[in-house]
This record gives sequence, structure tokens and C-alpha cells, in this order.
Amino acid sequence: MSPIALIVLFVSVPSLILLLYILVRGSTGLRRYILTRIGLTLPMIFILATLVFFIMHILPGDPITSALGPKATPEIVARVRETLGLNKPLIVQYGLFLKNILTLDFGNSLVGGHRPIIDEMSERFPATLELIIPASILALFIGIICGTFAASRRKSASDYSLRIYSVIIYSLPIFWFGLMLQLLFGVILNWLPISGRIDPVIGTSLQHVTNLYFIDALISGNWPALGSVTAHLVLPTLTLGLILSGVFVRLTRINVIETLQADYIAAARARGIREHVIVYQHALKNAMIPIITLIGLQVAILLAGAVLTETIFSWPGMGSYLVLRISARDYTAVQSVITMFALLVAIISLAVDIIYSLLDPRVRY
Amino acid sequence: MPSKEEKTPNAKTETWQSDLERVGLFRRLFQARKWYGADWWFVAVSTVMVFGFIFVALFPRWLAPYNFDQIVGTSFLAPGEYPDLPVLITRTDSTIESLRDLAVTTDAERSVVGVIRGSPSAVAVNEQSQVVDAQLISEGSDLRLRPRINRYVTVPELLDAIVAGEVDAGVANVSELKQYAADYPQLRSGASISGGTATAGGFFMGTNNIGQDVFSRLIWGTRVAILVGFSSSIISLLLGVPLGLLAGYFGGRFDRSFSLVMDSLYAFPGLILAIAITAVLGPSVYNVIVAIAVLYIPTYYRIVRGHTMAIKEEVYIEAARSIGARRWEILWRYVFPNVIPSVAIIFSVNVADAILTGAGLSFLGLGMPPTIADWGIDLARGQRFIQSAWWLITFPGIAIMLIVLAFTMMGEGLMEIFNPKLRER
Repeated sequence: MSPIALIVLFVSVPSLILLLYILVRGSTGLRRYILTRIGLTLPMIFILATLVFFIMHILPGDPITSALGPKATPEIVARVRETLGLNKPLIVQYGLFLKNILTLDFGNSLVGGHRPIIDEMSERFPATLELIIPASILALFIGIICGTFAASRRKSASDYSLRIYSVIIYSLPIFWFGLMLQLLFGVILNWLPISGRIDPVIGTSLQHVTNLYFIDALISGNWPALGSVTAHLVLPTLTLGLILSGVFVRLTRINVIETLQADYIAAARARGIREHVIVYQHALKNAMIPIITLIGLQVAILLAGAVLTETIFSWPGMGSYLVLRISARDYTAVQSVITMFALLVAIISLAVDIIYSLLDPRVRY
Repeated sequence: MPSKEEKTPNAKTETWQSDLERVGLFRRLFQARKWYGADWWFVAVSTVMVFGFIFVALFPRWLAPYNFDQIVGTSFLAPGEYPDLPVLITRTDSTIESLRDLAVTTDAERSVVGVIRGSPSAVAVNEQSQVVDAQLISEGSDLRLRPRINRYVTVPELLDAIVAGEVDAGVANVSELKQYAADYPQLRSGASISGGTATAGGFFMGTNNIGQDVFSRLIWGTRVAILVGFSSSIISLLLGVPLGLLAGYFGGRFDRSFSLVMDSLYAFPGLILAIAITAVLGPSVYNVIVAIAVLYIPTYYRIVRGHTMAIKEEVYIEAARSIGARRWEILWRYVFPNVIPSVAIIFSVNVADAILTGAGLSFLGLGMPPTIADWGIDLARGQRFIQSAWWLITFPGIAIMLIVLAFTMMGEGLMEIFNPKLRER
């Protein structure tokens, strides 16, 4: 079974069941909200797909001629155009493009082994997941702990240093930060590997089930592989996670400060509840609601960061695939990868909004 | 949360506070220190940095020692390391300062220069003598430089020969001399025979893989960063602000359809969209500017639209409408001035973002043509030599960080001045 099918099984089937459960058992308001939100996601996907199509087809520049190089005769160019359907009218191409998205069939790669693009992507997608999941967890962890701490000690030295931390982190180019970590931990200290997902020698012993190497090593009990995978994960995760943490520190700080000004906090204080209970239980819990929506907006930063992180660490994920295919001038693949990113963004923000509506009963249409 | 001043009001602060309600954009900027005691340095430091960077970008010629594509030394010189150039070695009491001083009239005995057999410096002596000689001829001087070359096998032999007066001067590479320098106090090594670079004390940020000065490329790279940052932000401002004003003020179907497009665009990872646009358009600075400008239109649109919708409900707009002001007039004279402060904040942060995105694009090898001096390109090239040359990747990154920091801090500071209610955001 292909890895992408497994992911579809493990991720989307339970979430769909959950969604159906919510729709059936939830209140009318909640049901209306979720259905409206799903209704809004479809035009968003459609608009993004149209945008991608517009960029790839209407902007000046002839991808096929540049892909085939100067030696290609007009006949060859014409033949390639015909096989890719590029000689058809633009509107027909657009229809085919939308059909391809619906059927998740993006055609074959122009270069390399001319394999179906969806196969190549499904091999690389787990790598991206394996990078962005721990990175987001790290970012959230740092962000929530430090942000709440800064909010509870407002205007103290630690508050100001955390604010400066978040401004500096925001200004750091992620690709440079990654390079610096490579230089420090990979070259000078020589503690950690600086490229790839697993040691190539150990990698041969690993069975690929889900293509999430960490999970694969864990379920097959392959401990040396698990060690190698973890070591390879450290630097990319740190790079992406720390860069993202700046935004989360900021968001958490503002929201906790705002919550701390609420009347019920004053009431809790008046009742003599200890300050750290007020901050970490009462205020943080309520501040989490707006934080979760804002997480949805950080998906864009996360994915853009992932593209750069993957390139620095030669991480064989979707981002490095995109860069690779661009340098190979394989525009069919480029278009497909970008469309996949658009789908990903739309689905994640839908999921975040649904979670938000479950947590905060005030959000209803 | 009320600030300390508000808790303990005194007559003086109240006057200026009420004064400030009535003053314009620039007065408010200048009064910033009074508003927020501890935060004014944020604005001050960032303003100095921003103007510093703009100055560097405008006049790189004055600040950079070399041109960005000039090959000025040997490759991979560490910061401060002396380039391995051939230098002239003479006795400390000798009057000879450069190769030119070795020139003699045609009838006199030719001067003697000692070199080490097989060293690149031996070749350099020959080449450089011919250059100097040609110069002398063109100047019409009757001096000629055609030195006799004495070859020695080891460095100490050469140095002994100079001490003994067998040769008038010696030429050797800096690296060859290094370990013997202390043993020969009666000798001095002077300027490089092939130009002044060796006397400059090395390159303070080192040289790259083809022998270009990292510092000079850094200075020239500021130009691209500032150009991309400002032009793309201005383009998105010019498109995003009017659209936001119109959508916010008139609402309706126009607003709904535009907002849907803008929200989709906003949610999409900007870098990936920019990658797509530059990949199709091909590498050039202008294409990068266009690609980045497209990304940031929604940022302006969303903020301006939100503000306009809020301002539309204000009493003074109602008043303007009741005295018969036309819609365009209201939009231009009453709504637009009120969104300027927030646009200024976004603009500043937007320049920072645009610079980061531009650097990211050129780091990926998209966007900028390879001949240009750009920080992202330098970083990408430096990554190949991460094992040996740390300075290639360190300095361009610091430059990007500082310029982005300057604009981000400026945005933060502006936010605090213009938007006291959001002070703690």
C-alpha cells in the first residue's frame, strides 16, 4: 500500500468520522458553523488553484522550450506540448487542471524516470510531515511557556528579554539560522549530522511502512535506526521550531495579558487564589482560544519555513522537491506541488477553525 | 491596563496629552518619548539603523573598498588573514621600498632580486617587473627595470643572501616567510609587489571562493535588499490601500468577492507563491519585486478594509455626510488620513518581510541573476564551503538579520506611538 494511502487512512478517516459525529451530535449552531466553514473552504481551494494555474500558464515565459533546451527541434517541442495537452485552448487546459486536482492525478514528471508525480509526492510528503509536526510542537511548547511567563511578570527584565527574543527571532532569516546551527553543532562541535533523514548505511536496514522514519523505526523496533533518525531530526526541528516560537511567544504573551485584565481574574485574585494558579490555569486556559485561531494563520509561515529548512538540510520533503523540480524546469511537477501546498493550507486552516469552534462555544454563525 | 502616567496624573502631562490629541503625524512622532518613557529608544535605535542602511545602499561606492565582482586576493582568506601575496624583503637599513626603486639607468649594472625556486612569487617578480618597466618607458624615464634573478632553494638561504648583500632585495610569499620572520630582525618585508592589497591588513571579513572581498559584496548587497524591500512594498501599498478603502467603504458584492480572493492569497505561504512566480518569469530583480509585491497586497487590503469599516461608523463621517460631502470626498479627506498611521506600521514591517522573502528566494537560487551582489546568493554559495569557511555564511546572514531587525523594530515603535491602545500588543 502506498504511503499516501496509509496517511489518508490514518489521518483523514478518523477525522472524518469525528467530524460526522460532531455534525450529528452537535448543536444546531455548531453544525451550521462547521458546514459554512467547509462551504468557504471549497471556494478558497478553487481560488488558490486558479491562481496557481494563472501563474503557471498566463504569465510570460515558455516552460516547455526552456525545459527541453536549445537543441530541441520545433517538432519535438510540439510533440511534448501535445502529450502534456498544452496545445489545447487555455479554457480546456484549465478544466483538465481542475479535474486533475479532484482525481489527485497530476500526470507524469517531465524529467527523471517520468514517474507519476503523485507517487513522487507521496514519497516525500511524509518527510515534510516528520519535519513540521515536531517543529510545531516545539514552537508551541516554547511559545506557550515563555509567553505566559512573560505575561505574568510584565515589565520585568525577563519580560523585556523575551520580547527582544521574539523580535530577534522574527528577524532571523530561517535559512541562515539553519546554517549557523549546522556550523555550530555539525561542523565545529561535530555532534549532529547536517543533512538527510537517516544515516545511509543504517537506512538500508529500515523497513519503509509509513515513510515517517521515526514511526517506521519505532514499530519495527530498529533501535540504531531510531537513534539515527532522531539525530538527523534535531537540527531541522530546532531550526524551524525556534523560528516559529518567536511568533507564539508574542501571541501567547498578548493574549494572556489581555485575559489577566478580565474581571473574573480580579475576582479570583480577590478570593486569594495563588497567582501562579491564576496565571497558568485560569488565564492561560482562556487565552488558548484566540491562540489556536492564530496558529491557523501561522501555517503559511510554517510551510514557507519548511521549504527553506528542507533545502538547507537536504531533507527529501515536498519543499526540496519543489526546488529540485524548478531547477529541472519540470513545470508540471512544480504546478502540482504548489497545488498540493494550497490544499494543505486550506485543510489545516479548516481543521483549526473547527477545533476553535469546539473549544469556544461563542463562535457560531 | 492604564499606564503609570495615567494613574498619577499631573497638570503638565494632561496638557500635552490633550495637545497631542490635536497634532498631526510628525508632531506625534517627535512627542513619542513623552508618551512612552521606556520605549522611545526602540524608535530611536531603529531609525538610526534604517537610515544607516539606506545610506549604505545609496553610496556603496564610498564605503566598499572594492567593487563587488572584483577579484582582489586569493580565495578563502579568513577574516584578517594576510593574503598570500608576494612581498618585497629588504634589509631594514635599505632605501628600497618597492620594485620601482630597483630600476636603474640602462648603462648601470642591473639590480639583483632573490627568489625561491618554484615559488609562485618568482613568476610574480617577472610579470610585475615587466609592468613597472612598461610604466617607466611610457613615462619617458631613462630608468629601466630588468632585474637579474637569483634563485635559492629554501627560504633561509634567500634571507641569508639578503642579509649578506648578495642580492639587493628578495621576493617571497607571505606564507613562506611567516615562520622565519622572527629569526631575521635585520630584515623587513614591505609592500606586495603586485599592488597595495597586502598592506591593507588582510580582509576583515575574508574572501570567498573566487577571491572576492566578502565585506565589499556585503556593502553592495545592501542596494539589492533596500531596492527589493522598498519597491515591492510600495507597489503593494499602492494597490492594497485603495482596494481596501473601496471595499471597506462601499462593501457589498465587490467587497465580498475581493475579500475572498485576498483572504485566500493571505493564507497561502508567501514564499511558495513567490517561488512559483519567479520560476515562471525567470531570474531578474524586477521579477522578484513583482512577485513579492503580489504577496503583500492582502496585508494592506485587510488592515485598511478593517479600519475603513470602523471609521465609517464614526460620528464625524456621519457629520460630513449630513453636510452633503460627496462619497469620494469623505473617502479621501476623512477616511484616508485616518488609515495612514496603520499603513505606516504595516509598511515598515512589510519592508522587513519583503527583504526576508527576497533573500530566501535568492538563497534558493531563484529570482536574482547570479551576477548580482546579493546576500541570499552569497549565503547559498557559502553553504557549499561550510566545512572550511565559516565567514562566508556568517556575515551575509548577520547583515540580513540587522536590516530586518531595523525595519521590524521601527514598525514596533511606530505601533506604540500611533496606537496607544494597542501598546501592549
